[in-house]
Amino acid sequence: MEDNKNCTGPLMIALQYNDLFDLLSISTSTNTDALPKGRAFTFIKAVQTVNERLVDQNKTESLLFEVILIAKECSEEIKMKIVESVKHYGLEIGKFYFCKKEELINTLQSNKVKLFISTDRDDVCKALHTGIPAALLYDQADHHVLNQLKVILSGEVIGFSEDSLDSLSDFGFSETQIETFKAAKICMKEFAVLIGQMRRRFGHENSPLCTCVLTTWGSRNICATAIKTLREWGLDVDEVYCLAGAPCSPILAVVKPHILWDSGLHNMTDSSAPC
Amino acid sequence: MSLDPVLVMKGQDPMPNTCPPASNGDSKASWEDSKEIHENTGATKKPKSTNLYTCDVEVDMKCHFMKGPVRRARKVEGGIFFPKPENAVTIAVSSRVLFRTEKEQIVFEQQGIEEYLRYQVEHENEPFAPGPAFPFVKALETVNTRLRELYPESEELFDIVLVTYNHAHVGVRLINTINYHNLFIERFCMTGGTSPIGYLKAWHTNLYLSADTEKVQEALAEGIAAATMFMSDKQIEVSETQLRVAFDGDAVLFSDESERIFKAHGLDKFFEHERENENTLLDHGPLKSFLELLGKLQKKFYAKGHRLDCPIRTYLVTARSAASSGIRALKTLRAWGLETDEALFLAGAPKGPMLEKIRPHIYFDDQMFHVEGAAEMGAIAAHVPYGIAQKYPHKKSTNTSK
Repeated sequence: MEDNKNCTGPLMIALQYNDLFDLLSISTSTNTDALPKGRAFTFIKAVQTVNERLVDQNKTESLLFEVILIAKECSEEIKMKIVESVKHYGLEIGKFYFCKKEELINTLQSNKVKLFISTDRDDVCKALHTGIPAALLYDQADHHVLNQLKVILSGEVIGFSEDSLDSLSDFGFSETQIETFKAAKICMKEFAVLIGQMRRRFGHENSPLCTCVLTTWGSRNICATAIKTLREWGLDVDEVYCLAGAPCSPILAVVKPHILWDSGLHNMTDSSAPC
Repeated sequence: MSLDPVLVMKGQDPMPNTCPPASNGDSKASWEDSKEIHENTGATKKPKSTNLYTCDVEVDMKCHFMKGPVRRARKVEGGIFFPKPENAVTIAVSSRVLFRTEKEQIVFEQQGIEEYLRYQVEHENEPFAPGPAFPFVKALETVNTRLRELYPESEELFDIVLVTYNHAHVGVRLINTINYHNLFIERFCMTGGTSPIGYLKAWHTNLYLSADTEKVQEALAEGIAAATMFMSDKQIEVSETQLRVAFDGDAVLFSDESERIFKAHGLDKFFEHERENENTLLDHGPLKSFLELLGKLQKKFYAKGHRLDCPIRTYLVTARSAASSGIRALKTLRAWGLETDEALFLAGAPKGPMLEKIRPHIYFDDQMFHVEGAAEMGAIAAHVPYGIAQKYPHKKSTNTSK
């Protein structure tokens, strides 16, 4: 597995502090040293595990995850709290960016972020439209850390060919939805290639990184195309789920992913899960 | 399973449901050979096309495709849709029972996972042969076709999900095989090694078929009807127009309470016990709910005047005897509001010959002895690893006239 020449690491991931920490329960939290853990907590821990394992295998490994934390519109007090909390929990945050709301996209672009994850679907859409790879941070219901970082890629985004995309409007998807889909298609490849390289550093068993394809409404053939395309890009996925319209929350609750790239083509009724 | 008619276009559907498109043309080149073979067997075939959105899908006898690969929530005009799992009778099958994968199993056991996966990818374009659950799945599809004709908007259908802890590497080969055999399976979970049991619940599984007894036992422990299937060398022909499901009585439809008496105290005690308790209902067994679901679907056919040519037929095949211990079984079924189309009381006679006559697509029995006997005659049998018989297997020499 000597593809260091392909590597353009580190794999920079950006997230927002309100996903890392649970701001809503500050008042009820008994811990005054640090902000309460938020939805991205298990994700960060899983990312750190992957990095540890990568370095274990190769001390000079350059394809590692690097996490940058973005905080929009914070008071000085909160800024301090954030930095302290990160230290308190032993989180490996590469950089902190305190910026205004409008500066989010610029911040992401200037840092050549390989993936921006957020629980806020609108933020994800906006980022995608400006060419920044973005995906949903799936809300892991419990904070018990799995010892594996799980990434789900959308079977539809990868499996649908470019030429077929325009016909999607015949089926009731809005222009915006189709644009988001197209944007996701462009962004997903680079990320998939990097994750593929990382995944190949480990064997089939006992890997700290697990990749999945999820096809929510596409056919099995779309799914097969997605698997094969990813293989061409250098990513051999571990798990495959094809739902053909079945509600995905129950399935996702079993899969428990951290990162969820979905196709963006659906009406979201439940904001905590994409389907 | 809900019996309320599904409201079309409720407006709350979180996502559009899809109609499976014609086979993705991607695999066109590599399938030329198999396409030929398939055509020669006379089966109707979906035309391969490079354009996903082709509207010229050949209408095959069994289904109608709506134009394009995506369809709106449950609008059914001329379309097929996949029902919501909780409304349908969901059957989860593993890849090892749907298809024959013995060769690959051997590679896995002898050479390890890496070699196994490499082998699968290498043979990706070779479809697997049908496995023990294949005729059953085909029969389910036949019933679905008839149900769709009579109740085009209903979600009360069989829904088949492939649930396997196989790795995604095998995914393409499995999908190619599904295409090759023209199966209507669009839903699957390949869990890459983790236990599929959690997924069974997420899919509202009503019946789980697998080659792995441990997984089946786990499912049974979770209250999901499940059975293990094995490949046999001999396979008698089964009906292509009528789904036939046969059940053993004790420890399958009913609990194993009477079985326990028999094992512990022998035949006489068993008879005595059954006589004394004739009017006490037996407790339910793991497959009772599945019989119930079949009954509900049958009633849908009867309601439209298809009692005589109902495409579902159920059988009770029990070692109990009609004159004595069988009465309690019948009374219990009746009290549950269930019935089987035929009830065969064998009074201990071997089940094989009877099954050969019935030719079920699947026969559920809790005793391996009977499952093996059925397999010897070429009948498709599934083992329900439930109850006392697992600890004290049947001894061939015993006279088991019940």
